[in-house]
Amino acid sequence: MSVLRPFSASDMFKFNNINLDVWTETYGLSFYLNYLSTWPDLCYVQAAPSGRLMGYILGNAEGSNNDWHGHVTALTVAPEYRRLSIARKLTALLEFVSDTVYHAFFVDLFVRCKNEVAIEMYEGMGYSVWRRIREYYGTLGLGSRGRDEEDAFDMRKPLSRDSSRRSVRPNGREMIVDHTGV
Amino acid sequence: MERQIKPIYEALDTGSNKSAIVACNKLLKKQPKNDLVKTLKALALVRSQKVEESLILCDEVLAAKPTNDAVLTAMMHVLRGLGRHKDMVTMFEEAYKQQPNNEDLAAQTFFANVRILNWKAAQQIATRMHKQFHEDRYIYWSVISAILQANEPTTEPNMRTLLYKLAHRLVTSSPTPSYVNADRFHLHLSILRELELFDEARTLLESDIGKNICAASLSCNEIRRDIWRRQGLLEEEGTKAELRITEQNDRNWLEFLSVLDATFASLTSFKSDEQPDESAKTKCSSHAAKTEELFTKMALEEGHKDRSALLALLELEKRARIHGVSNDPNRLVDLMKRYFEEIGSKACCYEDLKPYLALEGEDAARWKSFLQSLTPSFASNNDLWRLINSHKLLRQNLSSDDLTIGAETDRATLYTQQYLEGLKLGAALPPTELQPADDLALLAGNVFVTLWKISSDEKYLYNAVALLEFALTKSKQSFHTRLMLIRIYRLLGAPSMALEHYRIMHIKQVEHDTLSHFVLSRSSTFSLAASGDLTLATECIESSQIYISNTQDTGEYIARAFTGEKYSQIPEFIIFEDRLENSLQRDLIKIEHLRMRLSHEAISSDIIDMELIELKFIFDRLHHDNRDFEILADYQPRASQKFNEQTLLFDKTEGPGWLTTFLKVYIRAFQQGSDLDDTVEEKLLIGDRPKHTSGQNKLTLKDRLRQRTDEELVELTPDELTFVNYATALADWLEPYHDHARPPPSVVLAEAAKLAEQKTGHPLKGVEIPPKNGNGNANGSAKKDEEAPPITEAPELVVRFFDDMKTRFEAVKDASSPSLTLHVASLIQEAFLLFIVETLRFKTPSVVKVHKLGALVQHFKPIRTNALAVLREVSSILLKRSEQDGTAEQRKSFVDACSPTTDLNIDHDFVLGVAKKITDSRKKVTEGVAKGIARVCTSYP
Repeated sequence: MSVLRPFSASDMFKFNNINLDVWTETYGLSFYLNYLSTWPDLCYVQAAPSGRLMGYILGNAEGSNNDWHGHVTALTVAPEYRRLSIARKLTALLEFVSDTVYHAFFVDLFVRCKNEVAIEMYEGMGYSVWRRIREYYGTLGLGSRGRDEEDAFDMRKPLSRDSSRRSVRPNGREMIVDHTGV
Repeated sequence: MERQIKPIYEALDTGSNKSAIVACNKLLKKQPKNDLVKTLKALALVRSQKVEESLILCDEVLAAKPTNDAVLTAMMHVLRGLGRHKDMVTMFEEAYKQQPNNEDLAAQTFFANVRILNWKAAQQIATRMHKQFHEDRYIYWSVISAILQANEPTTEPNMRTLLYKLAHRLVTSSPTPSYVNADRFHLHLSILRELELFDEARTLLESDIGKNICAASLSCNEIRRDIWRRQGLLEEEGTKAELRITEQNDRNWLEFLSVLDATFASLTSFKSDEQPDESAKTKCSSHAAKTEELFTKMALEEGHKDRSALLALLELEKRARIHGVSNDPNRLVDLMKRYFEEIGSKACCYEDLKPYLALEGEDAARWKSFLQSLTPSFASNNDLWRLINSHKLLRQNLSSDDLTIGAETDRATLYTQQYLEGLKLGAALPPTELQPADDLALLAGNVFVTLWKISSDEKYLYNAVALLEFALTKSKQSFHTRLMLIRIYRLLGAPSMALEHYRIMHIKQVEHDTLSHFVLSRSSTFSLAASGDLTLATECIESSQIYISNTQDTGEYIARAFTGEKYSQIPEFIIFEDRLENSLQRDLIKIEHLRMRLSHEAISSDIIDMELIELKFIFDRLHHDNRDFEILADYQPRASQKFNEQTLLFDKTEGPGWLTTFLKVYIRAFQQGSDLDDTVEEKLLIGDRPKHTSGQNKLTLKDRLRQRTDEELVELTPDELTFVNYATALADWLEPYHDHARPPPSVVLAEAAKLAEQKTGHPLKGVEIPPKNGNGNANGSAKKDEEAPPITEAPELVVRFFDDMKTRFEAVKDASSPSLTLHVASLIQEAFLLFIVETLRFKTPSVVKVHKLGALVQHFKPIRTNALAVLREVSSILLKRSEQDGTAEQRKSFVDACSPTTDLNIDHDFVLGVAKKITDSRKKVTEGVAKGIARVCTSYP
């Protein structure tokens, strides 16, 4: 029960309840404007009937040849609106557009190896770990939880064009790459 | 050559402007005519704030009408840095004229016009580009330029239609249909909507390709939905929406709204003065029954998994009541109870139900008793959330009679107890997580603030601080808790604590615009700039960086949206840029920074001139208020003030009226103090003039500066109003003498030209120096033939101001929070500094002598002496106060006042620590302001 609509530049005036959360980064204007001026059809918000923003997704399409894919760059939900399938619905539309408009082979996203809740959620949505990227995230200064904190899983979900499911491999968690190569 | 240029680019890229200039000079010695090197030097000069020197090079390059790509690109940056966007248009136009087959130059000329929002020229260029280069997208550039011209507020309605018709003709003239991409399609649909060409729109939308686009494009579907509505096809749209909901499992609330709108279409289609007939009502009732059946079935299937159907049922019942077709008086509350039972364990339940809470009579009683009958449980997070939601919902419906000190005290105790109990559930959470019980502490915070409001007793705010600080130790990332604390700390006169919490939140980028009001609103009250501590002044500057990024970056992305044909984004980016460019907060910060600056820097004619020009730019802006007040966790009852209003410093928020009033005060004072009258300014100012966004005001600037309206003044605190009255009287009094003594424009320009030539070795462009008439002297104060205006006594308002404010200060100096004390003290200081600004011109003995103003200056002396005496006393009282503010006794009384909280098992030593921080912060600010005032007194003895 929320309004799904395109992310508009002026939503930057309204996203504080989402972005003040410690896990959500606020980037410079160029970041958002770059996404909106290039992939407006991969950027959406979910808003409550009152107009208050609940969450948003920013995505892009990238890669060449068989690697052509949709990518979830930012996906975030305000703390008060968690557990309402907001992320799931945002992602579903991004997948649909990646499939039907961009004809991508798969959609991928990065997640902290430590973030088991999110990983489980993405697995439930059809994503699986493709590889592990070393030191992908700059440390938040927490440090105590070791490598899982900084490393990311690259998770992928095949789209209809990847009929032979080449973007799925069983041993993805063991495929470790350096972040400089991503 | 390339080898020699490369290091210059590298130096520019790394910000080493100095070495870039050195490298350019070296090359220019060998090739003095090289335009690229000149341009790069101009760029390095602009970036090192050496505007005058850069201008000369810039003009030389422009005169050469460059066509070289590298020169043009570098010049683009130079001109942008100088704010000369119109010159950029001319430069590209000239280049394009010389190379009419250069597509890139054509595009740059187009973008240069886009940059200054000259849509008419942009449209013409795009049309020409299409003819010449045969690219379809240029048709669309032309189309959207026409639309944007049509949408300008200044465009007449019939012109608007004409432009849309032109746009329509252009789209249909395109050799490829608009549906080849979604953004072109979107643009096409928006034209059809405006021109109400609904049949054409339908044909497009109902084609397979049209349907496919709308299925994947939210923005096209948005416009489609709107077209259907405008055609009055609510029922048809409702049927479509129902199919999307049932067959495609779409849970977009917009679809549910379409179903609801369709349900009541038979009634809403009547005009407001018509009564729907019975058959329409019957039709609506039966439709409502069907809709209810649909949502009820869905709600059963989905349970608590998705709340759409449940909420749609509520909305259905609410509308049925409004339209008089509800057939069960119990239904609304029944549905609300059901909603709570299903969704009560989610945080959003309270907000979801808020629109339905305005219940009366029997309904209100049933709802209340339902919520009261719930048994608090702490067994799980879900139980805890249910408890929190029930508190919030009950509180929302409290009447003002329910808000007694006794009842609110009980609530504060209850929420605090339950908060502490609830913490156990989150004991094992990592420190980065939020505690599920947080909202109970926030609820208690709301209650304490209400208690303070109704009792005027500060002890309630102490309790709020103690509890919320404790809550932060358990939930470090709770920004709601911090924002609440920031508000309370400012009320309590502990601004450094407010700033500390603000900084921990890492506010950055665009958040500065929406959130900096939390610490910068009326921040000059707490500024220690006069004593040399520039913390808040720096915060003002840092918060304003975002406006510079906006000017530098946003335009670039507008151009990119054109190149990438993302037409749907272009109007949005323009609105965004405008909202940030003309942000109210931006200029509120500017005023606060100015007030701090005047207290810190020596007041000179340079400052006066510079600030004058800047403030005049601001004065004509039409401001947008982007400040986020909704972010505060507000759980106050409907019948009460909102938390935001309750916790505003001095009960007032600064709006456009406040800004305008202060702008008028300072522009008038600076205008009087400055030698730059409008004709001089016109000659000396470089770059484009600001676009006047505040509409066509027929009055002259002088008249507008004298205007005062009640709407504006109501935004001031009583003390600010006293200050403004004083400032107005002072300016009215001194205006004729300033006008008399101000050197004539020719002399000012000659002086400016002389300075410029000394600095750059070149004469000032566009300024002709008149031959000296022999009686000019070193101060530029030519003897006048006319008599000085008759000298009048200082107005009563000016003479009495300092004594009156001292009395006022005496009355508030012992208030337990120093905020108001500092407000009054800082206004007295500000009034004194304004006096310095207004009398600076008459400090020069020769000016006074030549213009025979000796008698006037005599009147200044007693005012100044008295002002200084008042300020010295205010300073010493504040200093004494600061010694008391930081004592152990003060800390003890804070801790004692917090007994309601400490009694509930919040550690005594912890609260003592909070007490120490508050009292230290108070001491620091009162002491700093006291010392600052003393310093001001010595600076202007």
